Order: sequence, then C-alpha cells, then structure tokens
Amino acid sequence: MTQPAGVYAQTYDEDQAIIRTRPQCYWFIIFMIFLFALPLFGGGRLVGILNIIGITVIAVVGLQINAGYAGQVNLGQSAFMGVGAYTAGALTLHLHLPIWITIPVAGISAAVFGAIFGLAAVRIKGFYLALTTIAAQYIFSFAMIKLPRRWFGQTEGLRLNPISLFGFEFDTDGRIYYLILFIAVLMIYGAWGLVRSKTGRALVAVRENDNAAGIIGIDVFYYKSLSFFIGAFYAGVAGSLWGYYIRYIHADQFTLWLSVWYLGMLIVGGMGSILGAIIGTVIIRLLQELITYIGPHISEFQILSGIGGGIVFASMNMLLGGIIILFVIYEPRGLVHRWNIVKESYRIWPFHH
Amino acid sequence: MISLLSHIISGGLTGLLYALIAMGFVIIYRSSRAFNLAQGELVVVGAFLVWSFANYFGLPIWLAIILSFMVSMVVGLFIERIIFRPLVGEELFALVMVTIGLLVFIRGAVLVIWSPEVHFFPAVFPMTGLKVGPFMVDKGLAFGGAITILVAAAFSWFFNHTRTGLEMTAVAEDHQIALSLGLNVKRSIAVAWAASGVLCTLAAAIFLSGKGMTFMVSDIGLAALPVVLLAGLESIGGLILAGLLIGISMGIAEFFLDPIFEGGVAAVFPFIIMIIVLLIRPSGLFGWKTIERI
Repeated sequence: MTQPAGVYAQTYDEDQAIIRTRPQCYWFIIFMIFLFALPLFGGGRLVGILNIIGITVIAVVGLQINAGYAGQVNLGQSAFMGVGAYTAGALTLHLHLPIWITIPVAGISAAVFGAIFGLAAVRIKGFYLALTTIAAQYIFSFAMIKLPRRWFGQTEGLRLNPISLFGFEFDTDGRIYYLILFIAVLMIYGAWGLVRSKTGRALVAVRENDNAAGIIGIDVFYYKSLSFFIGAFYAGVAGSLWGYYIRYIHADQFTLWLSVWYLGMLIVGGMGSILGAIIGTVIIRLLQELITYIGPHISEFQILSGIGGGIVFASMNMLLGGIIILFVIYEPRGLVHRWNIVKESYRIWPFHH
Repeated sequence: MISLLSHIISGGLTGLLYALIAMGFVIIYRSSRAFNLAQGELVVVGAFLVWSFANYFGLPIWLAIILSFMVSMVVGLFIERIIFRPLVGEELFALVMVTIGLLVFIRGAVLVIWSPEVHFFPAVFPMTGLKVGPFMVDKGLAFGGAITILVAAAFSWFFNHTRTGLEMTAVAEDHQIALSLGLNVKRSIAVAWAASGVLCTLAAAIFLSGKGMTFMVSDIGLAALPVVLLAGLESIGGLILAGLLIGISMGIAEFFLDPIFEGGVAAVFPFIIMIIVLLIRPSGLFGWKTIERI
C-alpha cells in the first residue's frame, strides 16, 4: 500500500510504526475522543448497540485471524465465545475473582477448547474442517446443559451481579461501555501487530498453500493450531464481556446461527484484513439494528397494515443473505477493498495513477 | 434385550434417513465442489412446498409430492443459475462462503412466505406402527429406509454407468480439466442441484410425515453431516453403510447413556463419532484419496 507523498521511513522503527504521519496521529486521537464521548451524547439505546458492536468486533477480529488470515473455516466461534462466557461467569460467581484475572482466563479456556478442534485441522484439510467446528458447537451445547448444576447451572444458566474493578462498579450500560472499549482497542491493537509479524506472514503462507508453506520450513501443524488458539482466545474474551454485560449466561445464547453471522460479517467487510473485520461488523450490526428499528414503523402504515413486524424482521435475513451472496460474487475482497480504493485515489489526486 | 434391539432398529432407520439427506449434499459436492451448508434449508423448502400443495391448495398427497419435486427441482436450477454459475472456476473458499449467504437468505425467505408458526405436515405414510415380530417400527421410517436404499442404488448406477453421470464425476475431479475435455460443466452442476433439490423434498416427506414442523427442521441438515463425513465426501454407496453405522451406534448410545445424562445423547453422539473417524481417516471410509502437488 502506498503512503502519502513525502512520507518515507529513515529508520527501522519508523518503518514499523503503525501511525506514520502527524495527521494520522491527530485523526486517531480525535477518533478515540469521539468514541470516548459517544455515550455522553447518545441515549441508552445507542450505548447498548455500541456495547454489542464492541463485543462482536472482538469475536469477529479473532475469526478474521483464524479464517481470513490462516484460511481455516471456523463455524464454532460462537461456541468458543460461550466457553469464555461460562468460564468468566463461573469464576466470578463461585470464586469471586477480580475481572483482570477472569477475562484472560476465560480467553485461555476458550482458546484451549478451540485448539482441541483445531488439532483436527492438521489431519483434515479444507472444508471437512468446517464440520469439526460445527461439532464443537453441538458438544458445547450438550456439555453446558449436562455438566453439574453447581458449576454452570444447567438449563437455568448463570446469573451474575454487576462486576467491579478497584471499587468502580460497571453497573450501567454507559459504565461497562468503557470497559468494552478499552478491551476492544487492546485486542484490535494486538491483532494489528500480530498480522504484520512473522506469525501473521506464516499464517498467510499456510492459507495460500499449506504444502508449499511446509516445504519452505513453516511448521504447518503449529500455525494451524495456533490460528485456532488465537481466534478462540478472542472469542473467549468477547464471551466473558458478553456475560458481564448481559449478566445472564445460557447455552442457548451461543448458537451456530451466530457463527454463521460472524462469517457473513467477515465476507461483507473483507477477508484477510483487520480493518475489514471491524467495518463488516459495524455495517451488518447497524443494518440489523436499523431494520429492527424501522420494522414496527413500516407495519404502522395503513397500506401495509397486513404486514406484521415479524415479516419485516424475516425479510432482514433475505436482505442480508442477499448482500452476502452479492459480495461473494461481485466484490470478494469486501468493503475494505472499496475503502482502500477511495483512500488511494484521495492520496494521488489530481492524478489518475 | 428387546428394548435394546428396538433402539438399534429405529436408530438404523434414522441413520438411513440421514443418508438420504446426505446424498443431496454429496451429489452437489461431487459436481461443483461446493460444500453446501444450506442443505438443511433445502429440506425446509421441500417440506413447506409439500405442505402448501397438500394443505393450502388441498391436492391429494401423491400429486402434492410430485408437484413439490418439480418445484424444488426448479428451485435447485435457479440457485445454480443465479449463484453458482458466476462462480465456476472460483476458489473453493468463495463456494463455501456463498452457501452461508444462501443459508441466511433461504431462511429469511421461508419465514416471509410461510411464517414461523407450526405447520402440520400431511401424513404421507399410514400413521400406524409396523409390527415385525416383537418390534414396533415406525412405518414412515421403514418405507423411508427402503426408498433410501433404492435411491442410493439408482444414483450409484447413474454415476458409474451413464454418460451424464460419468461426466459429472469428471467435473468433480477438476473443473478446468473437464472444461478442456469439452465436458459441459454448467450442465453437470445444474443436474446436481436439481437432483439435490428433489432428494431434499423426498427426505422431508419421509421425515415429517404426520408431524408438526417449523423452519427449525433445517437442523436435520446439520445432523446428517456426520454421515457425509464418515462415508467420505464422494461416495454414494458408502452413505448407506455410514448411515446405518451412525444410526445404530446412536441407538446403542441412546440406550446405555441416556439414563446417565438424562437424554440428549442422540444429538451429540454422531458428531463425536465423526471427530474420531476424521482423526484416524481424514477422507472418511470411502472418500477419494487425493494426492496433492504444489
């Protein structure tokens, strides 16, 4: 990717910097202040939407590393999220551990669960793998309902009290927003660094051709399981936040349908790009919210009075499913590719090339 | 003992039903290399078509089923024409991703057209049980099992002895090579989608005969996946054996483990078998072993 005119690196540190120019730095600070101040202006509904978007972004960025970078189709992301949520919930409820312990532990437990199914990726190639991750989903739902009631509450699920950190209670949407924002930024920063590193390049090599990658000395076994480990770690962290935000954890919340949506978000945003994962999540979530919001209003019109709100909600699936199909056929590189084209032409304006 | 045997019989018959759904999946995979995650949704479409013709338009059941076969064939052809034809020769990843969009789309369409309420599927087979010696067998499943074996034999013959079938097998090997040999890749894929649509409707008619149904029936598409993998993605004859194996072991597991776990074992057990099999034999029992070159 080209840099703005006149920007070139003179040291290795400059060459590796994420923020290259002064305007980029200003815009970044303005954007962070904007994100920070958003709950102050928006109503409670907006903050709720933002919280869910933040949690989903974490899970989808993890899926991007796993599916977009390493090329391992993963339909178990929501089950991995569920493992994280249950772990964090049980640790908080039974052992009263602080969240700076429970959230990383939730991530790691989900990562271990994910890596077990990722191990299958070593023997199984291509889309057989999608099926072992579907198996993860079934085993998760079964286990959580059947494990002893003392641990995970079986069919009753887990109910949590508001969490607190150093005496600060995260008891409202607005308060937990900052926790989610902080962790989301941290996780995205980590992902950004990871995909530019040696590990990230190895993952891409495995995606492009795992035989060739093996021959040039990349440990395919290690990197395939690592991609599941990392992807599921992100899911676990997202799941723990989900648990702390909703304060109720049940196996029925983490469905295969949700994993399907996460992949849809990746497709629309663009496979193989962290920014793409974020754009895709935000766009699809906002579309979903928009349709849920205008749905009841449409059925209020006299002409369309025969159409119930449920129909509008269902047609949302048709619309979004159609969008996913169109993106695969006509813009396989996703919205992020469009965004890059716009950015490039802005930079080289008024020239064409 | 009798109770265990009846678990085994009903398990085996359920396994054969899974094999029938799996067949639709395998036929699509064999021709287009598309891993159709939306297979369960095709079953739902077939089910609601039969319901519409039989209950909404009040046609006799045999006519309703024949009409549904035709419409689901058209639906299959339509999906192929709109979605998969532009993707011929694209990488496999796109082929799988597009079925995810298809899954979301069809589910939305089913909800819009038929609403999420419970519909009662007409009785295709007599509702009485079939008494074989001391065992009571569900008549629908028994007929279904016989139909599955016949259909599998027919398709097996079709793929190995007819020109179109052999062409489809060649297309499955490699689109590029098939094209350069002058084979009609588009037609092969279209035939596969049409056949798969019909098979899904057939499976729906057997599975749902006389039951209540909602769009959630699509879960059976996923439940059938272990059968596909156990057989290997390319084998049609192997599906019968794999279906019986999964079904019978499911019945046994249900008998011994359900008292311990208080039910629910049947849903998860096939997946556990599947993972174990995949770790030992990644290409399933009868799948093609591919030699990979760089």
